Amino acid sequence: MKKLLNSHEFMMFIILIAVSIVIGLKNPLFFSASTIFDIVRGSLVYCIMGLGVLMVLISGNVDVSFVAIAAMTSYSTHMLLLRLGYTGGMGLYLAIAILFGLLAGLAMAFITTQFDLPIFYVSLGYQTLWYGFNLFFIGRAMNFSLPQGLVGYYSRFLIKVKDPVAGETGLHISVIYLLIIAIFVWWLLKYTTFGRGLYAMGGNREVAIRAGFNVRRITYLMLALNGALAAVAGVIQDAYSRSFNPVLFMGQDLDVIAAVVIGGTAITGGRGSVIGTILGVLLIQILNRGLIFLGVSAEWQRMVVGLVLIIFVSVPAVIERRQKRLKYSPMEKEE
Amino acid sequence: MSEELLRLEHISKRFAGVKALDDVSFNINRGEVRGLVGENGSGKSTMIKIIAGVYEPDEGDIYINGNHYKRLTPIVSIREGIQVIYQDFSLFPNLTVAENIGINRVISKGGRVVNWQEIYEAAKEGLSRVGTDIPLDALAGELSTADRQIIAIARALLEDARLIIMDEPTTALTQREIEYLFKTIKSLKARSISILFVSHKLNEIKEIADRILIFRDGKKVLDQEAKGLDIKTMEYYMTGREIDTSSIAYSEPEETSPLLKVENLTLDPYFSGVSFELKPKEVLGITGLLGSGRTELALSLFGELPAESGKIWLEGKEVSITRIPDAIEKEIGYVPEDRIKEGLFLEQSISNNIIVTIADRIASKIGVISNKTKLKTAEEWVSKLEIKTPSVENPVSSLSGGNQQRVVLAKWLAGNPKILILNGPTVGVDVGSKAAIHELIRDLAKQGMGIILISDDIPELIQTCNRILLMRKGKVVESFRREETSEEELHQHLIAPES
Repeated sequence: MKKLLNSHEFMMFIILIAVSIVIGLKNPLFFSASTIFDIVRGSLVYCIMGLGVLMVLISGNVDVSFVAIAAMTSYSTHMLLLRLGYTGGMGLYLAIAILFGLLAGLAMAFITTQFDLPIFYVSLGYQTLWYGFNLFFIGRAMNFSLPQGLVGYYSRFLIKVKDPVAGETGLHISVIYLLIIAIFVWWLLKYTTFGRGLYAMGGNREVAIRAGFNVRRITYLMLALNGALAAVAGVIQDAYSRSFNPVLFMGQDLDVIAAVVIGGTAITGGRGSVIGTILGVLLIQILNRGLIFLGVSAEWQRMVVGLVLIIFVSVPAVIERRQKRLKYSPMEKEE
Repeated sequence: MSEELLRLEHISKRFAGVKALDDVSFNINRGEVRGLVGENGSGKSTMIKIIAGVYEPDEGDIYINGNHYKRLTPIVSIREGIQVIYQDFSLFPNLTVAENIGINRVISKGGRVVNWQEIYEAAKEGLSRVGTDIPLDALAGELSTADRQIIAIARALLEDARLIIMDEPTTALTQREIEYLFKTIKSLKARSISILFVSHKLNEIKEIADRILIFRDGKKVLDQEAKGLDIKTMEYYMTGREIDTSSIAYSEPEETSPLLKVENLTLDPYFSGVSFELKPKEVLGITGLLGSGRTELALSLFGELPAESGKIWLEGKEVSITRIPDAIEKEIGYVPEDRIKEGLFLEQSISNNIIVTIADRIASKIGVISNKTKLKTAEEWVSKLEIKTPSVENPVSSLSGGNQQRVVLAKWLAGNPKILILNGPTVGVDVGSKAAIHELIRDLAKQGMGIILISDDIPELIQTCNRILLMRKGKVVESFRREETSEEELHQHLIAPES
């Protein structure tokens, strides 16, 4: 119990509630079902990508190419299915995009493991490569023609509410994907040798190799999953916004990484959780929207989010240093 | 004749043309403690890695439990019951004790899914085999060195280890912890588990090993029963020359005013009410168990952990040292315990490391450092301290442990400090280098420097210090003059329980 109360996740949760209450007190409209559903919807794709980022960060690596993989997989899938005259819904979209995402991830794993390069270095080029691929080979413009199965996707709700301002809205159906993915990633991290291997690599890569973890295989699987999750996020985002975008999520890679770090994941690896990641994304979304409710201008929003990030990375560091100081050599240890 | 567990025949290994191991053969029996001794670079680590399956030998044969191998892989080696406890204990600082102990069992089974109950049970079993308990949910990174070693041993035992290789196991341990480790080793031996005890602390090897193996320059130079082998002979085989540890010239510092005077220095909860004087030309030893506050005291004199109260005088003038730059400005040098983490920029060149503390002094007026000056200064120190390297432009990481330690020394000596604080200067350093470092310390003192030597290596203190202060629980409890004390007396007082 004490452990729970001390955890970063619990602290995040408290802050989340506190921030919401402050915003709600200033503007009661914030406490409406439609706002909450809107925040959930807005957070969803970032959560899905964030869970991929989470795995990469835990392993002690950084990847910035997932946004481009999301754009490439969703846009290519769409243009392919459009040409084939597909009229169905999400199922085939997701299946093909996930396949592309897995392949893109595996290819990246091949490059990093073959030449023993840090994932971050490769991902810098990898990001530009896939955006370029989209624009050069697939198409330069946003595409608005949807197959029959996707028409109206944006208004498929699990729970419907009527809102005086927003009209008919609700909890979007795609939240189910997030639930399934979150549980799956949580299970992977906690109950598989792959997941424990990620933590082990992040703790000490050399030791992980000595312990017998197959670091190569873990890297392949991690990047493949990272690609697949990006693909899912890309398809959901495009289907929801009723347009397929060749430069989807461009420039948002660091925002996602920031959210994951705010959620308590160590950028140096070895530490991080699914709950923390989701709370981190939610906190940023709540701040963004809350600031709108408070009438703060967009420029200020960026600044506030930036400040929150700095606070969130410095507070744990300060706490850790103080604990270390106390632990430096406690004298009672001698007895 | 007892049963043979491991036999190596004619093992050779080259790295980039350099022979790390040259036609080495030896065997280890069941339930035997085998001591492996050698200076840095003698091939000990290479041998460990070959047995562990990390390196492939270029030539030779390996027999384990009667099975013949040309080369091993880590997994094969583990399945044959070989476990290595590396100097860093190979732990994951970010994971719990339970997982650190139990995860190997899951991996070696080749399982994909982790059963946490199994991990906890394995961890409990492992710790019970060592006969201690450590909280299973503590993070490994938060434990003491001795506890981390226990975890590493527990983990090895769980793998049904038949041979445990311990690489420099006593380096980070205090006297009392070493005694505990030896007790553990004896109980392992009683269960017919073999130990390969790799160290360069000859007295420890002699105490614990049944048969001793000495490597020099990649060759086996000695292989015989520990009984009847004396330390002098071992030193001779290890270094290839006679080492004189007794005749370090000793001179009483003159009756002058003190260089450094400390009164009632206090920093809760580490130390309190510490007072002492340090004269020029004096080597003052400070000893005590881990946690006695000796390291913190040193750090406070160096401004890293500033004291809360108390006074410091330098050459009769009261000074305040609250930051490291204060100490550097007052010409106080500090050579840390953990040279790798705190003392060196491993990937930088030797020359850059040496000049880093005097960069300001050798820079021109506009702050540019000429490459020529830099190299000249660096080369001077490399030759003065006999650092073995083809070029001062090589990265420090290319050097062996003993030579790295000399670079740390060079770095501080280059600044020509008035007071030099050395914290465990010979931890992890072999006999030959150790003697050289002791001589250097005496030489520096002779030239007028005041030196504070923090160590729990009693022979080292006796050989190099004029006076020795003993700290316990943050207080200086006793002071010994070198000529009036002995190794035995110091040892007794050091490990004496609270009275």
